Amino acid sequence: MNSLSPEVALSRISPELRPLLCSVVRNGRVGLDSSSCLRITDLKSGCTSLMPGPCCDRFKLHIPYAGETLKWDIIFNAKDPELPPDFIFGEDADFLPEPSELPHLVSWDAGKPECLLQLVKELLQQYHQYQCQRLRDSSRLLFEYGSLLEDPNYGRSMEIYAGRKNSWTGEFSARFLLRLPVDFSNIPVYLLKDTALDPGEDVALLSVSFEDAEATQVFPKLYLSPSIEHALGGSSALHIPAFPSGGCLIDYVPQVCQLLTNKVQYVIQGYHKRREYIAAFLSHFGMGVVEYDAVGFTKLTLLLMWKDFCFLVHVDLPLYFPRDQPTLTFQSIYHFTSSGQLYSQVQKSYPYSPRWDGNEMAKRPHLIAGEQSLS
Amino acid sequence: MGRLVYSACAKDCGLGAYVSIMAASISGYTFSSVCYHSANSNSDHEGFLLGEVRQEETLSISDSHIGSSELLNVIEVHNHEPCAQLFSFYDYAGNVNEENLNRILKDRRKNVIGWYRFRRNTQQQMSFREQVIHKQLTHILGIPDLVFLLFSFISTANSSTHALEYVLFRPNRNSYNQRISLSIPNLGNTSQQEYKVSSVPNTSKNYASVIKEHGTEFFDKDGVMKDIRAIFQVYSALQERVQAVCCEVDQSERVREKIQEEVNKLKEEIALRKRNSAEEERRLQEAAAVTLPDNSALPDSPHSSLTRVVLSGPSVEPSLERPVNSSSPPVYSTTLPPDSPSAILLPRPQAVGSPGHPSPSLGLGNGDGSSSDSLNRQAIGQEDPEDCDDDDEDSSEYENLVSEQSQAPSLTETVTLGRPATLWPDGDSPPGS
Repeated sequence: MNSLSPEVALSRISPELRPLLCSVVRNGRVGLDSSSCLRITDLKSGCTSLMPGPCCDRFKLHIPYAGETLKWDIIFNAKDPELPPDFIFGEDADFLPEPSELPHLVSWDAGKPECLLQLVKELLQQYHQYQCQRLRDSSRLLFEYGSLLEDPNYGRSMEIYAGRKNSWTGEFSARFLLRLPVDFSNIPVYLLKDTALDPGEDVALLSVSFEDAEATQVFPKLYLSPSIEHALGGSSALHIPAFPSGGCLIDYVPQVCQLLTNKVQYVIQGYHKRREYIAAFLSHFGMGVVEYDAVGFTKLTLLLMWKDFCFLVHVDLPLYFPRDQPTLTFQSIYHFTSSGQLYSQVQKSYPYSPRWDGNEMAKRPHLIAGEQSLS
Repeated sequence: MGRLVYSACAKDCGLGAYVSIMAASISGYTFSSVCYHSANSNSDHEGFLLGEVRQEETLSISDSHIGSSELLNVIEVHNHEPCAQLFSFYDYAGNVNEENLNRILKDRRKNVIGWYRFRRNTQQQMSFREQVIHKQLTHILGIPDLVFLLFSFISTANSSTHALEYVLFRPNRNSYNQRISLSIPNLGNTSQQEYKVSSVPNTSKNYASVIKEHGTEFFDKDGVMKDIRAIFQVYSALQERVQAVCCEVDQSERVREKIQEEVNKLKEEIALRKRNSAEEERRLQEAAAVTLPDNSALPDSPHSSLTRVVLSGPSVEPSLERPVNSSSPPVYSTTLPPDSPSAILLPRPQAVGSPGHPSPSLGLGNGDGSSSDSLNRQAIGQEDPEDCDDDDEDSSEYENLVSEQSQAPSLTETVTLGRPATLWPDGDSPPGS
């Protein structure tokens, strides 16, 4: 399936329909996974082959939903661009939304560019209801859904995809996608800015796949937006616990939520602690400070002198400071190694306690520096 | 009209299995007309299918099971009514406007059996709005088995190949994907399959007017072809003649039967008379034997009628061995030639090798005109001495048999011994006599 860039797709669309699709491909974020935009593929035309282009008026819209990608055919008529589109809901042939509950269809206005996007969102809402009704095939999964629905923290931000019942085994599967109510607003900005793409809204999604109706095979997975994942130290830094056998979502989800919240708190706390540490060093070593990271407060370089012996001290503060001990690197300004680099020595084992405040931490390296200079 | 068949369900697979099958067909000209309207449209196109639905039930009996009944529902598409534009009878939400619907269909609403839609470069699947509309049309038109025909026109990227695909849906409560294959009669290799005659009435107005104008030359006032009626008249005339001939045959058979009875009766009389004459002759001979020594010098006595033998007397009784188509006189003739000289009382002429005495009894034949085998042997002359009496009796059956009324014994002729009498069939006189 050829995925077209928004610009290419728009260039092939009939000019009268272009504004409608522009809002879809540029601003089209629907559902919980708003980090992914809506995609358009398979652009075709309903006109005769003699009609000069661009005249494409029907296409396939890819919509992320509950970890799946819905592929809906949207059918316009270039000859009658003012008419509302028709839909073919792919494999969900049984999905038949109620037209009266689609205000943007009943009052379709081709002059409003966001009309199509709003209509798609309304259809998704009915699609969600349709999937929830399909959970009735499994009482266990229906219970899971009902228990989550009652919790205001999760009930409003939930997408469910009920899989097809296996005609051979009779197995029924489903996937729950929940947005975890974690506050990422206090994460330092510098941690979020080093992403290649505009991350959009910071979100953490928990996907729980039930491979059987009795919940004996449950596979959870945590999805973080790129900025959050980077801020937390990458995908390897965060491991969620396995779904307990016989457990319920209503117990498991808060557990994961708390774990993530703690992690975020660590990160935030570490930032503040680093800033405090740097501030203390600045206070103690005022004139001896060569440079320091004024954004993330992760590095500090001091020029110290001990009995006319000058040397540099580089302090590297880890992400999970003060839990993790800072690294001190002593570097000579006189001596070179055989490779032409300034002679340096790393010191990790020195008296340290994460419970010390910044001043205390600044004092201790002062003594260590003297001993190192002598050596 | 071709038939397309899809098996809906089998209610019972055991004894008396009942299978309901639906067949749908569209004529070639209707199909091509729909395609023409659709292909010339620069957007999606829709319309209504007109036709009829009828049921055929086939009961089959075979050795494998007692019997099975097959109900065939046939949907025949006769015509179509294209819509001028999209959304002509429904709104954006898919709500059908019955007033607009009636304006499109007019008086053909009762002939609607389905509707169709043409879309280019889309999947062969009913869309959201089509399902909504179909449900409403089913309810408004009151047709539970309303069908939906979907045309899809698929073109390759370089427009070098175009494919027209069509699928007939029979949406039901459970699924909108129930499909029926649509057959078009005579669209195929007719050299290998029989050319099918359409059973659909021709709805063309031009055709109707031409038939009306020139039909009187071929059709009578009842709409039946004149040739057929003429043939039927010939047939009726032949039937009447056959019936008449049967009556004639019946009558002639009755006459023949009656005549046959008379013949048999006459034969019985003849046989009786023969017996009587033989008996009388025997008595006369016995009486003559007593008086014979006194009258021996008189060899020729004109008055001795007892010893005179009638010679060359033709047989007065027809031979029953004679073939019917011979040139002899009619079989049923009971009259004798007037100059028949044979006498009952005279001893019969002897055949060659015969023992010499007449047969006293006159044995009749089988009564139906057939003769016994002994007669044949006597005629030839080969006699069994032991059976000579019987043979004589049998052989004298048709010799010297003369009716008393029709013949008078002749006493003037004498016997020429040693020369057998020449018997002529049918009582004919011998040549020269």
